[in-house]
Amino acid sequence: MTAAVEFQNVSRHFGSVRAVDGVDLTIAEGSFFAMLGPSGSGKTTCLRLISGFEKPTSGTIRIFGEDVSSVPPHLRNVNTVFQDYALFPHMNVRDNVAYGLMVKGMGRAQRHAKAEEMLALVKLSGYGDRKPAQLSGGQRQRVALARALVNEPRVLLLDEPLGALDLKLREAMQDELKALQHKLGLTFVFVTHDQHEALSMADHLAVFNEGKIAQIGTPQDIYDRPATRFVADFVGSSNVLPPELTRALGGPPQWASLRPEATKLAATGPVSGPVTALRYLGSGTRVVIRAGETEIAALVPAGEPVPAEGEIRAIAFAPQALHLMGEA
Amino acid sequence: MRSDRPSLLLKITAIGGLLFLHLPILFIFLYAFTTEERTYQFPPPGLTLKWFGVAWERPDIWPPLYLSLKVAAIATLMAMVLGTLAAAAMSRARFFGRDQLSLLIILPIALPGVITGMSLRSAFGIMDIPFSTWTIVLGHATFCIVIVYNNAVARMRRLSGGIMEASADLGANAFQTFRYVLLPNLGSALLAGGMLAFALSFDEVIVTTFTAGQQSTLPIWMLNELVRPRQRPVTNVVAIVVFAATFMPILIAYYLTRGGSETAGMGK
Repeated sequence: MTAAVEFQNVSRHFGSVRAVDGVDLTIAEGSFFAMLGPSGSGKTTCLRLISGFEKPTSGTIRIFGEDVSSVPPHLRNVNTVFQDYALFPHMNVRDNVAYGLMVKGMGRAQRHAKAEEMLALVKLSGYGDRKPAQLSGGQRQRVALARALVNEPRVLLLDEPLGALDLKLREAMQDELKALQHKLGLTFVFVTHDQHEALSMADHLAVFNEGKIAQIGTPQDIYDRPATRFVADFVGSSNVLPPELTRALGGPPQWASLRPEATKLAATGPVSGPVTALRYLGSGTRVVIRAGETEIAALVPAGEPVPAEGEIRAIAFAPQALHLMGEA
Repeated sequence: MRSDRPSLLLKITAIGGLLFLHLPILFIFLYAFTTEERTYQFPPPGLTLKWFGVAWERPDIWPPLYLSLKVAAIATLMAMVLGTLAAAAMSRARFFGRDQLSLLIILPIALPGVITGMSLRSAFGIMDIPFSTWTIVLGHATFCIVIVYNNAVARMRRLSGGIMEASADLGANAFQTFRYVLLPNLGSALLAGGMLAFALSFDEVIVTTFTAGQQSTLPIWMLNELVRPRQRPVTNVVAIVVFAATFMPILIAYYLTRGGSETAGMGK
């Protein structure tokens, strides 16, 4: 398979700040790729390196095999859906969508027809005459999407595309984006700080930390086998065990992760503590046990006995469920 | 009980205040039509349109009018170019001393005209620059730039910076981005700034006095004319012309930027 985007030892430094620091990355054609990380981790800079708004301090970036290091943004066959949508306020929706075709010199009738086609694709038929200010947040998001897609980019970049939407709209848009990507077969690269969004939408993701990629893989890889303590912490929901607890549980003195689903409760065991929190989830109950400084969550399936708060319980698990990982 | 309706006293005071401010302007207009040419006698003994004809025939009115129009036009043009560039630099770049520089740019509007005039005059003297149209233009440009700058900066602040990047991202080159995105969004602010600058320059007296030498702009001609005993209503006719030439642009500027927060720099 061809690599849509390839980073070879790419760095982008701003003065003494290493926003992106020695990143190697391959994004396969047709994949839905997420860049996940806290703010300031370098994920947005990576996106801007692909769109061309940042130039690498060192390293090589290839888009479909072509070295784009000296290609300015307007000559790259990638388009971006901006975080704040960046719709042109003085143009109506149709002209916004047709903008990319207009600057390429396509005639009015033809580009308007194409724009209408795209508006239909994002379910905004009939909105062509409105101004961006007359649209809701979700509708603006769709216009931004149509405006990018009308140029038939080979890679679509999305910068926190759902960040400004409320929860319900966000979930609906997640499904739509996924369906759209599937339908068009395009390469989507999106940046997010929301781990649930990244895990549920992407087929591959890179977790960024301090300008470097902490881990790259499928959502399941990242969730089940976090490479480092940072990844486990950031992706969340897994229990992160410090070296002394891992050793107490029979492992080597290393950081380890343990998924709540794989964690069982026992009457006695090497690691135990009082139950500090209970949360009923329908399919089961999440029980949190405090072992020294560490809180460990276990998922008790529905139908099994649930301890009361304050009771002492030990944790147990199948040996293969304990996943060892690096420190950083 | 509190009432949202203003009291009668407040109404009378407000109306009185407004009349005090604006009634004298009506008298200026009125005396352009009086038949009495030596004193501003009230009520006018009779009304006539002959002063418009007299003003038209007076050869000494035309050179100051031309000079004023020329100065205002050049100063406005300079201000529009320089003010826009300064605004673009200020809203895009982040550099050391940016806030201080921004203050320096808008300082001329806060500085009393007498100070600006004096400093320019002594500078011209030191550098042996003879008084000319250009010395007046320079004096006016100092505050005209501020007007355009303020309007442009306010508009750029309202613009989402992303739209320029979006334009490039969609394949537009720098010229296309300027033509299709920046200019349409900046245009009315620039036009408004230019009109205000023109109006300010056209009726400026203080700085002009220091930088004009022997030349007369229209406002200075009027000032000299007031002490002459003869054909006084001609001055009022010219006042109507000046009023129209400055009020119209300001009115247009107001409508162009209505709804924005940028009818800035009306203070000079």
